[in-house]
Amino acid sequence: MIYFRQPINSALSFIVTLLSVAGLFALLGGSFLFLVQIIIYAGAVLALLLFIIMFLNIKEENLPDEPYKTRWILLMSLLISPFAAYLILAVSRMEFQPLHLQDFGSIKAVGLHLYSHWVVAFEMISILLLIALIGVVILAKKEKGRD
Amino acid sequence: MIDTGHFFILGILLFSIGIVGMVSRRNIFMMYMSIELMLNAVNLILVALSHHHENLDGQVMAIMIIAIAAAEASIFLALFVMLFKNARTLDANFFDLLKQEKHND
Repeated sequence: MIYFRQPINSALSFIVTLLSVAGLFALLGGSFLFLVQIIIYAGAVLALLLFIIMFLNIKEENLPDEPYKTRWILLMSLLISPFAAYLILAVSRMEFQPLHLQDFGSIKAVGLHLYSHWVVAFEMISILLLIALIGVVILAKKEKGRD
Repeated sequence: MIDTGHFFILGILLFSIGIVGMVSRRNIFMMYMSIELMLNAVNLILVALSHHHENLDGQVMAIMIIAIAAAEASIFLALFVMLFKNARTLDANFFDLLKQEKHND
């Protein structure tokens, strides 16, 4: 996913990744989160991203030329791999139960939990979304009234 | 037999891929998608922890992260449209206005 030159190939493979993660959510018993991941992430956010990529009409000369891309990716993988290996080692020392398949994150349970323990955070999220909306409107307006 | 630990390992690997993509690419769309990939890895780990402890807090936190990612996506994409209309490029190295000591106009 991170190796493609064209952003649209990368976005399409990112959709596949998101749908796979949604399937893992369903496997872990979060049916509401499964729906949210498919509808909001793979549906809304990535559709918006694909729309913008197609809307910008990116030509070959608009893309940055990255002659050392493969070298950079290999170098960064070498740098990151000790940390990842350390974390994986730490996780594999822990003891886990095998997966028990039950739906404990249903819509009713998550909603009750959300509105009884997380009310303040929920309201803050609504304010954050409002701020993002205002910010986007201001960004789009400034561009029009510049000259 | 898979257990919760495998989900942690997958989350760690996804996060590492996100960091590698974030640092080593110069296309701003790739950087944005790497950030989203890292957020998704954290989501996966939170849901696995919530399954492990039989507690719904992790899933609620994952929903919060998805809401924040949606807000972030709208602002990022508006910025990308503006940057591309002004500069006609997607190169992150090109956007260095803050680096120049005096602007020439």
